Amino acid sequence: MVNEVLMTQDILVEDFLTIFISSTLVLVFGGFYVGIYTAVKVKMLKKWTLPFGYLFWILTSYCLYLMGSLMHVNELTAKALVVAAIGLLLLPHAVYYMQDRVHEENEH
Amino acid sequence: MAKKSVWSDNRFWQRSAAWITGFASVLLIWLTFDTTAQISMGTDSDIQNGVTKRVPGPTVINYKITYEMNKKRQHEIPVIGGANADGTSSFQEKEKFFGRDDWSEEEATALLHLGKLGSQVKNCMNCHTLLGNGAYYAPDLTKAWLDPAWGPEGSMQAMTGKNTKEEAMAEFLQNPSQYPTHERMMPNLGITAEEAKGLVAFLKHMSTIDTNGFPRNFGKIQGAVNGK
Amino acid sequence: MANSYLNSESKKLATWYFTVAATLFGAQLLFGLVAAIQYVVPSFLFEILDFSVARMLHINALVVWMVFAMFGAVYWLLPDETGIETVGIGFGKLLFWIFTAAITVVVLVYIFVQVGSADEMSIWFIHEGREYIEAPRWADLGITVVALGFVANLFMTGMKGNRSGIVTVLMADMIAFAGLYLTGMFFTDNISVDQFWWWWVIHLWVEATWEVYVGALAAYGLITMIGAHRKVVEMWLWIEVSMLFGSGILGMGHHYFWIGTPEYWWEIGALFSALEPLPLVAMFIHVLYDWGKTQGEEHAKGQNRSVITNKPAFTWFVINAFGNFLGAGIWGFFHTLPQVNLYTHGTQFTSAHGHLAFFGAYATILIGMMYIAVQGKNGIKVLNHTKSSIWATSMIVGGVLGMTVALTIAGYVQVLVSRAQMGATWSGYFDGQAGTWFAQGMDWRLIMGFVTFTGFLFLIKDLLSIGKATHHAR
Repeated sequence: MVNEVLMTQDILVEDFLTIFISSTLVLVFGGFYVGIYTAVKVKMLKKWTLPFGYLFWILTSYCLYLMGSLMHVNELTAKALVVAAIGLLLLPHAVYYMQDRVHEENEH
Repeated sequence: MAKKSVWSDNRFWQRSAAWITGFASVLLIWLTFDTTAQISMGTDSDIQNGVTKRVPGPTVINYKITYEMNKKRQHEIPVIGGANADGTSSFQEKEKFFGRDDWSEEEATALLHLGKLGSQVKNCMNCHTLLGNGAYYAPDLTKAWLDPAWGPEGSMQAMTGKNTKEEAMAEFLQNPSQYPTHERMMPNLGITAEEAKGLVAFLKHMSTIDTNGFPRNFGKIQGAVNGK
Repeated sequence: MANSYLNSESKKLATWYFTVAATLFGAQLLFGLVAAIQYVVPSFLFEILDFSVARMLHINALVVWMVFAMFGAVYWLLPDETGIETVGIGFGKLLFWIFTAAITVVVLVYIFVQVGSADEMSIWFIHEGREYIEAPRWADLGITVVALGFVANLFMTGMKGNRSGIVTVLMADMIAFAGLYLTGMFFTDNISVDQFWWWWVIHLWVEATWEVYVGALAAYGLITMIGAHRKVVEMWLWIEVSMLFGSGILGMGHHYFWIGTPEYWWEIGALFSALEPLPLVAMFIHVLYDWGKTQGEEHAKGQNRSVITNKPAFTWFVINAFGNFLGAGIWGFFHTLPQVNLYTHGTQFTSAHGHLAFFGAYATILIGMMYIAVQGKNGIKVLNHTKSSIWATSMIVGGVLGMTVALTIAGYVQVLVSRAQMGATWSGYFDGQAGTWFAQGMDWRLIMGFVTFTGFLFLIKDLLSIGKATHHAR
């Protein structure tokens, strides 16, 4: 465990603000994406708003990338962040698919 | 009627929850065995044999402690009794602690025990942080032993009228509100001379724990620009 | 629906628990105010009620009022879920009185004894000096007995009555909750081992078992307040349990970065912490989805009335879903990776996260349960908002958000000055504390603390009087 260099560099003082803001925005944009997707599916929003949901997911991924590179994360953490981003993309789809199935089975 | 799908089957999800929870718990327990072995406290013979432990034995209070950047690990590590060529502890250089550098294992253990009890009973953690955990009303104590403020160039020895770090710390702990450094002061907690000795031993011991480089750059930068 | 409160001893006991919980909530806020004043005026109550004492009371009252409200909520929902009276309710009532008496003694000792000499006697009878679980050892043993008695009530009732998915989750969760407390009771000279096990209690409570408890409570709330389909809600609850325990149990790694534990926890902590917000997002969608779906079905029938049968409680449940995501999710995520946590660990960032997460994830839903109890006690079909309930909600939410933002700004100054530039020494620490932004952050935190407290007064007034208002459907 020890012979591998895990943490290579100090974070630059001027990078802290960007890191905090981008990591906050990761979840804010992520929340918008999930919120818009869900709202469209339960017909609280019109269908044309859906692309904006996906746009927010792209912004989320960008913020994740920015945050990761400024804090000099190592390879494994970088992979974990990519998995988290893809997980977030799939999450509402999976939820909707399952919810819909259950509702169908219970109502018909 | 729609056909039953496994994804909408409660029993499937119930079983998944049980398996996932079980798997995560087993992994945590397995890691706990490994970690608790690695953080068990070392002994005096470890120190005699030059064995570096993440939490060394209480007799480290007989040695000089520093906090040095380690090339291989890319962060600072505590160095006990001077450094080897590769930057690890050599356990050679001693340092007097309350006038002695021959505290036996029993004596040092008793002192550390008193200090750890004192740290809890006096509620240190509800103002200070220890290993970064606690309250944020007062400075972090993880590496307090190595703080330049208590060293020969710091202000605390002159203020308390003592010639060594440990005596200055012990004096301060017994009468903290007599030596105010800032408007925010440490209150008098009725710490006795013996308890203060124990607490200082506890602090010195804590500074030898390998905290993976926390805090970063401790005491290395002085008088940097402040962000007012 | 008949008024089930009148013939349920379990629900009566629940209201007792809620009453003590609300009282302790007030104590939490009061001692929080004392500590907040001391940040601004350090001489306030110096050597009378020092910061360490005020802060200990602040966080202990927090933990205890939440445990009281959690027990209360279970006693409230058990008859509804299982269809029978709670088994051994007389025993449950006895435990309530023991618990309340013990807590009263503990608090009085905290206030009037405060500190002892460095020996085992002080650990047994004054306090243990370990953040959040300071209770002295005699009280630890007492709390364990009470918690086991509560679990016994829950298990006997669950075995005898109809064991719904919600009850099953609660049974498994509450036994883990009680069991974990045992890992925080022993004394060791090794502070790394001490903190290792201390986190077993703190982390596995608030980031695992308590979160699952909230999932179960939200499920109950969705069924009772908007008539969501039980099957959907319970399936979803199992998914939440998988996600919460799957990420939360090993998410423990983020507390093991710097306490002496090996470096592999960096990787484990980073990986599972990055996943921890996902269940919180999921819980948020779930509430939104079920609300939209049931309301949509109502619209499809040509009805325009709201499906919500308890407006104030539902408001708190929705704030919970969002607040959990905001406080535990966002405020947790931005300082969870080790690269950043090296600088933020033990600063006001942690404090900002702590305030918003405890409030968003737990206080909100427990206040919601108190409103459900008020509705049930008064036999009201549809409980509507009152002026006080709206004032209480907006002032408490606004106050806590304000405190969080103020603490975040203060934490940012502390990270830059005390950590990144000055390397965390004594003088570095005080340079950070002296920064203008830091000092103003503390001023604003105090102001927002008063706002929160005022909101709390409205909340109490409302809980006591809303049942008597005449604009509800009975």
